[in-house]
Amino acid sequence: MPEKHINCRGMQCPGPIVTLFKEIKTLEPGDIITIEVTDFGFKKDINAWCKKTGNELLSLEEKDNVITAKIKKT
Amino acid sequence: MKNILVIGAVAAGTKAASKARRENMDMNVTVLTRDEYISYAGCGLPYYIGDVIKSKDELLVKTPEAFKKEFDIDVLTHHEAIDILPEAKKVVAKDLKTDKIKEFKYDKLILATGASPFVPPIKGVELNNIFTLRTVSEAIKIKQLINTGKVKNAVVVGGGFIGLEVAENLTERGIKTAVVELLDHVLPMYDKEMALLVQNELMEHGVDVITGEAVEAFEGDSDGNVKYAVTPSKKIPADMVIMSVGVRPNTELAQKAGIELGDTRAIKVNHNMETNIEDIYAVGDCAENINLITGKPAWFPMGSTSNKTGRIAAINLFAENAERDELRGVLGTNVVKVFNMNAAKTGLTEREAVKEGFDVETVIVPADDRAHYYPGYKKIVTKLIADRKSHKVLGAQIVGEGVVDKPIDIIAAAITFGARVDDLAKLDLAYAPPFSSAMSSTITTANVWLNKVADKVKGISPIEAHEKLSDKNVMFIDIRAEEEYMVKTIPGAVNIPKGRLKKELKDTPKDREIILICNVGKNAYLAYLTLKHMGFEKAAILEGGINAYPYELQ
Ligand SMILES: Cc1cc2nc3c(=O)[nH]c(=O)nc-3n(C[C@H](O)[C@H](O)[C@H](O)COP(=O)(O)OP(=O)(O)OC[C@H]3O[C@@H](n4cnc5c(N)ncnc54)[C@H](O)[C@@H]3O)c2cc1C
Repeated sequence: MPEKHINCRGMQCPGPIVTLFKEIKTLEPGDIITIEVTDFGFKKDINAWCKKTGNELLSLEEKDNVITAKIKKT
Repeated sequence: MKNILVIGAVAAGTKAASKARRENMDMNVTVLTRDEYISYAGCGLPYYIGDVIKSKDELLVKTPEAFKKEFDIDVLTHHEAIDILPEAKKVVAKDLKTDKIKEFKYDKLILATGASPFVPPIKGVELNNIFTLRTVSEAIKIKQLINTGKVKNAVVVGGGFIGLEVAENLTERGIKTAVVELLDHVLPMYDKEMALLVQNELMEHGVDVITGEAVEAFEGDSDGNVKYAVTPSKKIPADMVIMSVGVRPNTELAQKAGIELGDTRAIKVNHNMETNIEDIYAVGDCAENINLITGKPAWFPMGSTSNKTGRIAAINLFAENAERDELRGVLGTNVVKVFNMNAAKTGLTEREAVKEGFDVETVIVPADDRAHYYPGYKKIVTKLIADRKSHKVLGAQIVGEGVVDKPIDIIAAAITFGARVDDLAKLDLAYAPPFSSAMSSTITTANVWLNKVADKVKGISPIEAHEKLSDKNVMFIDIRAEEEYMVKTIPGAVNIPKGRLKKELKDTPKDREIILICNVGKNAYLAYLTLKHMGFEKAAILEGGINAYPYELQ
């Protein structure tokens, strides 16, 4: 399964979510995308986003002030 | 040798005694307290219960032995002062261990009797496992009960700082906790829209928050242990209850001796901490304060103020007039952590400022606490309260995951020095990316306030906006990108990204009431200018945007 990594560090909202929207369109169902973000508002947004779009949030981690979300396109 | 006598040995009493010693090396300094523990960090008690602080010894700042050895101060624990005889200049005390009555002569007397939790006469309040939290002994009992593993559910009555700190710490220990608050929001001393942000944080961490209701009764089991707290709408399981509905100053002793109380029912003192009776001073939580902004009596039972007043009284005991120290007033500045959220306040709330007759204008401004490209930055929301006519800063509240204590201290300092919002906007504040922003949150907030007062923008508060949700004549427009709108927006808002406003609103009647929504208010301000230009008369922006909106989003 292809995995894609995107770096959205330093981007303020809506940067990360808009970027994620764009990137996920280029993927196939089952593909995995990892996104790195430093905007803490993203933590709540990504949960809501996955619920609404039906994509699966595999993990959401916070380390050294960077939030990493792993998402599977469905 | 002259005698300095202090009653009470926690924050204010020990501070006063230590300073009195440094000022007067040739006198006896004696401190009486009825408690077993002295000089402890009351503010640390919730964290002791939460096991963030492991041992009670970590809370004890100094022991009686240390006071004797280091300062030659005699601290007598288990000694309750029962009478003050101002004519004879004596205090009568009872040794609680031996029941012996003893007399202590004084040349100067400092009352630091503090405050005690208020326990309302609720039915069943005498059941086992219902506690207040003020002293080390109470904290030990609470922690022991938790350590038995039998506490699955707890109820905290009262949603002030202490209640919320306790709720957090109980939750961290795996106890399902409910907070019951009589007002319609937690943190009663904050404005509602700011307090609700904190309330959301509690609920996100699994705390049940019940507002607008009082506990009417407690029900227990056959062993007399509490089992439920009952409110008009709920019966909440409770293996333990913490009552934290507020504190009252300990003034019986003073009153009996003819010492005057103030409007707030705390001991009345002048700027020098003197009571109405010569040679008797009152400091800390038992003494009244003056609100620096209104000049009126106020009561802020805080550790920060206690230490200051203790020191001032000690300096004044034998000082010549010119050397006397004074406290002009306080702002009631405070700060509290609730899970990942921090909240801080100084000066008047909007409510209080209106009540005092100021021509009040407020703004709510979200900002990052430091440069957005430096990892670790977090959001904070600042509410600034100031007077339209004089531009004088009256108060502020700051809530968020980021650093709130620095900006609130900046504003507290500004108010103390009589600053106008214009001054606040021009402060030369320290900036480098790991610490702040080039335009710090405080400066941005001041500028937004000045814009609003200059009628450059019309804003509406989250509370007003929430009330208008059901009004079909009001159009809520979310001007953010479609992707953001999809994640969350205000219920009922339509999405018109700001680039499309001109096109999509060209046929909308110009007298339509429109509320513009973005994340913080800045883009909505731009959109507002566009709409104004198009001729819309009743456009406004949602102040603080989605970031400061404390109600349900969809
Ligand atoms: C859980 C908790 C958290 C807090 N958090 C904060 C915080 O974060 N920030 C902050 O600024 N403040 C905080 N406070 C408030 C702060 O602890 C008090 O303002 C401070 O303790 C007041 O000090 P005090 O010496 O005036 O009174 P007290 O601490 O009340 O001490 C008075 C002492 O006098 C004794 N006494 C009373 N009458 C007699 C008598 N007749 N004879 C002998 N002894 C007597 C009492 O037994 C007591 O030991 C907190 C308080 C609590 C309980």
